[in-house]
Amino acid sequence: MLGLPEKIRIEVDYEKCGERGKVDPRECCRCLRVCDPAVLIMHETLSVEQDPIDPQYWRITPVWNSLCTKCMKCVEVCPEGAIRVF
Amino acid sequence: MCDWCTKHGAGKRWYMNARNYSNELADELRAKEYLSEQWTNFEQVYIRKIMGISSVDLGYKLKLPIIGRVLRWQAERMIHSESKNRNPRRADGHFGQVIPLEEAKIILGNLAAEPIIENYCMCRWMQRGIKERCCINFGVLSTVIEKLPRFIPENNTARISREEAMERIEEHNRRGYVASVWFQPVPYINAICSCENPECGGLRLRQDFGLHTVYKSEYVVRVDADNCQACGMCVHKCQFGAIRLVPSLGRAVVDPRRCWGCGVCRHSCAHDALNLVPREEVPVARGRF
Repeated sequence: MLGLPEKIRIEVDYEKCGERGKVDPRECCRCLRVCDPAVLIMHETLSVEQDPIDPQYWRITPVWNSLCTKCMKCVEVCPEGAIRVF
Repeated sequence: MCDWCTKHGAGKRWYMNARNYSNELADELRAKEYLSEQWTNFEQVYIRKIMGISSVDLGYKLKLPIIGRVLRWQAERMIHSESKNRNPRRADGHFGQVIPLEEAKIILGNLAAEPIIENYCMCRWMQRGIKERCCINFGVLSTVIEKLPRFIPENNTARISREEAMERIEEHNRRGYVASVWFQPVPYINAICSCENPECGGLRLRQDFGLHTVYKSEYVVRVDADNCQACGMCVHKCQFGAIRLVPSLGRAVVDPRRCWGCGVCRHSCAHDALNLVPREEVPVARGRF
């Protein structure tokens, strides 16, 4: 109504995947590889104190949301059910 | 020639100017400090907030009225920044240009400063979780990356000779990867990448969001209609969807507005039907880097 562009929301539950979850995204990477437009990014966790030379804690963050096709493949492939697209 | 050639090319193309590769220039720009800071934090570049704004959902932010235009202006300013207080964490002054294999080999064979290393590509790591060893870096940047274990193969044999570097870039190019040369920070040159679209951060920002992180090459591809056998092999090679096979016409057609002039399609042609011609000679592509 205000002429705002459509927003595609993708959420990753960091209690399930990431530094607090069971899965280290560096070992899994399923969502990164299944995504055709490569919407998700893997990066070292910012809020946690870690070795800058060789960071140990990593996370997945959706960055290119506007290119998401809502195919839901990432939701299906995630072993922890940590991703939500809406 | 593009605007960066005029500025830093000394009459030639910017990446053919030997001064841009020199250690003296690196010292002058304090490139070691910049590159250490940039590469230690590389994967955070889209996530970290800069003046309250990160690149998360950049597509949405750029489409916002007014805010989007300010953001685009600011992003372009950062990408092409030559200011003394460039921020390495947001990769100010880090951008590049696509080059054909021949030019990449001239750079690696003659211009690139020692030592030369080939490390894991960080773009593919961030985007796909894949560690592919295909990023050729040189000069001061090599000594910086060598200290970061996540970019270096386990047996620590990142260093390669000039000849090996030339062989490797040819291998990557034939595989279908696009060669690109990078300022980091402008005007110091220290990397030749073998990119895929959209896995490469630079190509993504240019192709999907129109930000000038990478310039197209000085060439575009032209199809020789007499030689083309309409096999369609080149269509699969193009990372940018610039080539189309027209079955009724019995040949392939290139859209010069979409062609990046990387020359990768040529490797797939068994009939010598694809040639690079200077960008200036093609009206619709002239001056459009």
